[in-house]
Amino acid sequence: MTPDTATTGAGAPVKGAPVVDKATNRLAARGLGLRYGSRTIVDGLDLDLPGNAVTAIVGPNACGKSTLLRGLTRLLDPAAGTVTLDGSDIHRMPARALARRMGLLPQQPVTPEAVTVEALVRLGRFPHQRMLTPWSKADQAAVDEALERTGMTGLRDQQVDRLSGGQRQRAWIALALAQDTDLLLLDEPTTFLDLRHQLDVLDLVADLHAEAGRTVVMVLHDLGQAARYADHLVVLQDGRLAAAGAPGEILTAELVERVFQVPCQVVPDPETGTPLVVPKARSRRAAARD
Amino acid sequence: MSAPALAHTDGADGGRTGAGTSTSTGTSAARRRARTAAWSVVVAVLLVLLTGVALGTGQVRMTVWEALRALVGLGDSGNVLVVQEFRAPRVVSALIAGAGLAVAGSMLQRLFRNPLASPDTIGVTGGASFGAVLVLAIGASQQYIPLAALGDGLLAALLLGGFAWRSRMAVTRLVLVGLAVQQGLAAAVNLMIVRFPAELASSAMQWTTGSLYGRTWTEVGTGGAAIAATAAAVVLCQRRVAVLDLGDDSAGGLGLDPRRDRVLLLLLTIALASLAAALTGPVAFVALAVPHLVRLLAGPPTLGTLGLTALTGSLLLLASDLLVLHVIPVHGLPVGAVTATLGAPWLLVLMIRQGRLPQRSS
Repeated sequence: MTPDTATTGAGAPVKGAPVVDKATNRLAARGLGLRYGSRTIVDGLDLDLPGNAVTAIVGPNACGKSTLLRGLTRLLDPAAGTVTLDGSDIHRMPARALARRMGLLPQQPVTPEAVTVEALVRLGRFPHQRMLTPWSKADQAAVDEALERTGMTGLRDQQVDRLSGGQRQRAWIALALAQDTDLLLLDEPTTFLDLRHQLDVLDLVADLHAEAGRTVVMVLHDLGQAARYADHLVVLQDGRLAAAGAPGEILTAELVERVFQVPCQVVPDPETGTPLVVPKARSRRAAARD
Repeated sequence: MSAPALAHTDGADGGRTGAGTSTSTGTSAARRRARTAAWSVVVAVLLVLLTGVALGTGQVRMTVWEALRALVGLGDSGNVLVVQEFRAPRVVSALIAGAGLAVAGSMLQRLFRNPLASPDTIGVTGGASFGAVLVLAIGASQQYIPLAALGDGLLAALLLGGFAWRSRMAVTRLVLVGLAVQQGLAAAVNLMIVRFPAELASSAMQWTTGSLYGRTWTEVGTGGAAIAATAAAVVLCQRRVAVLDLGDDSAGGLGLDPRRDRVLLLLLTIALASLAAALTGPVAFVALAVPHLVRLLAGPPTLGTLGLTALTGSLLLLASDLLVLHVIPVHGLPVGAVTATLGAPWLLVLMIRQGRLPQRSS
């Protein structure tokens, strides 16, 4: 089964990304249901994420964004439906084989006590290693490149738990890069960072896509940032798909009001021309509620 | 999993965003490696010396050099007999069991993310002793002791798992239930021993406190081989352990099945502890104390500190046994009494230090 990229032409790379044709890295969900215990979070979701693009998943708190990401990465077994990567069911793939194609930065990774940046990043090579094979030149090259790309080369001997929040996040992204996967999934990579470090991380993501040809899927909170950095936007509401497509086409005032219950205007971002959500003034929101 | 006392949870403390924190740690990794290597050499040298002393000391006296020569069959034939047949099995038991217990303790603390986890606190050594005494009680051959200890050690762990599972392995509950399991099994051991005939009862005393009296090559051979095999498997799995340290989500993203792999590694570790306990009985506190000592000397556990952990475990048990044999003037004192006496205050210190750590929530 090879699902067509059903998400209109807008899913195609638009920002001059190099076309990687060895694999297309298309994630898709069909009738996906995700549950924690008896609580259904995502129900009957059909989703196609474009390959070779940056996708942002947005939605109100508790809409199932992170749960969806866990379902797309096998951290959570689906209660119903399937998740496919280029047509193959990810739950039928060997775990390590999948880990060589898909890297993940979870929302709250645990930094081992006193681990150094390089030691942390080396763990990204785990899916490529076999039990008795020693550390190889290819492993070291991947680690060096990941450190270089994230600007962590100079900090490689530092302890991760002594770094600033932004540096720490870059160290974790370096781990995912050392994993050397075409597809990268990031769960709220900018949460807990100040604005400058948020932009740092998002610029890094944009570079990874533009220069290294990675397909990126990330959960974001800020709609303006999502519109700026993503080629494809997935808007979730109560575990269902509210809209999906190019930010410029789908991010409208009606959508934001419907999904987030915030009356707003959507204006072109003065810097980039992408949609920018401006909530209405308090008095006018109160009026709208009456 | 809970109790992130040994691991920082990223994210929640994003307040530390000053760009200038990259100071002074320098090449802390290299420094830690050097410290680990240096301490390993120190402990290894001490171990060789103490081994010589242990082989040379006793009613038949000889120098350390004579003792080492006798070990390989050279010199006075009386010395050779004493060293090879009586002293060496006991010393080798101490070396193997000490290393096994210490490595098992270190692994348990890592896998549970809990500095108080040890084969003593989760009932494993109690289970192993129970199995051993059961073998004696039903009159089966002593060669089944390692097997029975292994089986009952695993059984004790399952019992604990069953009781603590619903609270998602919360630390306090784990330790409390573990101590209850350990005490219950110790009571069962005592009950069986009381009903033993007198000649069996004395040899069974080993299983109440842990002791190295009367070890022979038969026990050391089978137990030692099993312990070596298990320890080798533990070493081979160290990459997996390091990946699990990143938390279940990251480990899953790197191609592990965190829950399955954690349980498998726990079973392996429990097997190691049970086999060690089959050799010595429930020697207290070696498994709990050594990992903390190594952490003080060389930093958090890595593949590199595993060797130091094993060496330190051997050294502690051998030194305690020497105290029992030649320093403390009480005949027949079990080595477990010494380790417990040393270990109890150490546990208190740990508890107090633990209480002082700033609370981190996951």
